[in-house]
Amino acid sequence: MLVKNIIETFNLTKVYNEKIRAVDDLNLAIKEGEIFGLLGPNGAGKTTTIRMLVTLTRPTSGRAVIDGHDLAKEARTIREIIGYSSQQAGVDDNAKGREYLGLFGNYYHLDGQTIKRRIDEVLVLMELEDAADRLISTYSGGMQKRLEIATALINKPKILILDEPTLGLDVQTRLRIWDYIREINKEDTTILLTTHYLEETDKLCDRVAIVDHGKIVALGTPDELKSEISGDAVTLTLPLQDPDQHAKTIERAKQLLSSQTYVRDVVARDDGLNVYVDEGSSAVPQILRVLEEADVKAEGITLTRPSLDDVFVKYTGRTLREEKGTGRGALGGVRPRGGR
Amino acid sequence: MAYGREGGGDTVPFIRDTLTSLTRLLRTFTRSPFYAFVYLVQPLIWLLLFTQIFKSVTMLPDFPTSSYLQFFAPGLIVTLAVFNSNFTGFALLNDINFGVLEKVLVTPVNRYSLILGTVLYVAVTGVLQVAVVLIISFALGATLVTGVGGILITIVIVSLLGIGLTSLLGALALRAKRVEPLIFVSNLITLPLIFLSSALIPAYLTPDWVQTAMKFNPVNYAVLAVRPLFLTGYDWNAIGVGLVVLVAWAVAGIIIAEYAFRRFGD
Repeated sequence: MLVKNIIETFNLTKVYNEKIRAVDDLNLAIKEGEIFGLLGPNGAGKTTTIRMLVTLTRPTSGRAVIDGHDLAKEARTIREIIGYSSQQAGVDDNAKGREYLGLFGNYYHLDGQTIKRRIDEVLVLMELEDAADRLISTYSGGMQKRLEIATALINKPKILILDEPTLGLDVQTRLRIWDYIREINKEDTTILLTTHYLEETDKLCDRVAIVDHGKIVALGTPDELKSEISGDAVTLTLPLQDPDQHAKTIERAKQLLSSQTYVRDVVARDDGLNVYVDEGSSAVPQILRVLEEADVKAEGITLTRPSLDDVFVKYTGRTLREEKGTGRGALGGVRPRGGR
Repeated sequence: MAYGREGGGDTVPFIRDTLTSLTRLLRTFTRSPFYAFVYLVQPLIWLLLFTQIFKSVTMLPDFPTSSYLQFFAPGLIVTLAVFNSNFTGFALLNDINFGVLEKVLVTPVNRYSLILGTVLYVAVTGVLQVAVVLIISFALGATLVTGVGGILITIVIVSLLGIGLTSLLGALALRAKRVEPLIFVSNLITLPLIFLSSALIPAYLTPDWVQTAMKFNPVNYAVLAVRPLFLTGYDWNAIGVGLVVLVAWAVAGIIIAEYAFRRFGD
């Protein structure tokens, strides 16, 4: 069955201050009805991409077509069919839940009857019925986030776009938000979300684009991406010496290990190596022996099934896990990543 | 406002969006005890304090009236318009900081409605503030020689002043997206705007340089237009000049705010 692309971008680009290429010739095609994730570290250009697609930020160059409408010419029509949940709080403390939803119902120009009905529907969906007539200032963080997502649903959008929907939420709330997102998706809403949580993409998304420096470095279903790396992943951390020496040691260890018959692939990181092998339990002692003979000390060694993080490391040479992800700047993902 | 001037056109959504914005701002206003304090208690404190402190200046030669209250009431109405504009500026910043504005801008709401809604809000709260000061002043013994006509002109003048200043502070909030620059600018300009006008003391009692500065201060034009309404009668010359200056001030403010608004997302 041929599924149409509901979001397509063509060389979409955003340049800040005439030099920071936050989004760099991005070509993306998102299918109708899927949950699509943009995965990447802070500053990868995820938020900027989304802000362009929701008509908040003007692209520097390139095009995007959303449900057949050109982003540059038909922003107004596009606004009618999308819902947007931002990274910021996005709620007004001084309003009550129901009032705040009503505000958006009015801004979407729905008639009074429809507004009432939709408010009740989204309150049920996000399990906020009991809190609806309370001031938002009395809500917990998780409730505020649910209400914020509810406002994005008031117009029954064809496409729901979520920027880091579970950022800063506790594990339990995160799991509930995932359930809500799946629920919304069942009602024929296409979902585009950004995240830098691996589990989120793994558990939630039909397809994932790994983004770095404003470009897509890998694209596919989570399983497809992980199958690019077969066998087990052995993660080695080498003790930090002076930078020159450190890089040389890593390079030397990489060459040594690459020549071993049981090793499929070796990827260097800043602080060590990822070694991909067929059978981890037998490989680890052999790896350690090789290193010891070459007088290379390993500080840490872990054995895992390949994860999306390994995919990320493969394409960028960096790991996603070190990202603590607290950035919430007003400009979104503009901040260039350090050490570029 | 994330691009495009598009979004005009339809009249019905335009009116609806404007009323929606206005209603929301007014609801915040009526709900917060802080605003009640600012709008009710603040004028009372000013009136009681200043009429005591400046009591004896009326004995200076050529002072226009024997009651400082009578002199100060119109000055206070204008002064409070300046203060309240600052509060509205900060309220806008709140919407920006918490991401509310961003979410609103992603809806098909008419962009001009959002500006007009805020402008109307400034006008409505201006009317309220004028009413409060008048009631307290009358209770304390002040009079307004021009009656209802004078009140209406006062409201128009004060609203124009407030719209201009609120728009400029709003534009700053939209650009800076942070609280510090707004605090800095509002602290920096508020007192000079008030003291470099004849709100508190007649111009002829101030040094030449202050009198020169007053010529460039929109606040002073508001005071000059409003004060005679309380003391002597319609000064059509002052009202005319005041209207021209303050309409220009308000329009300039709105144009700058609209520009800042349009570029908000970038």
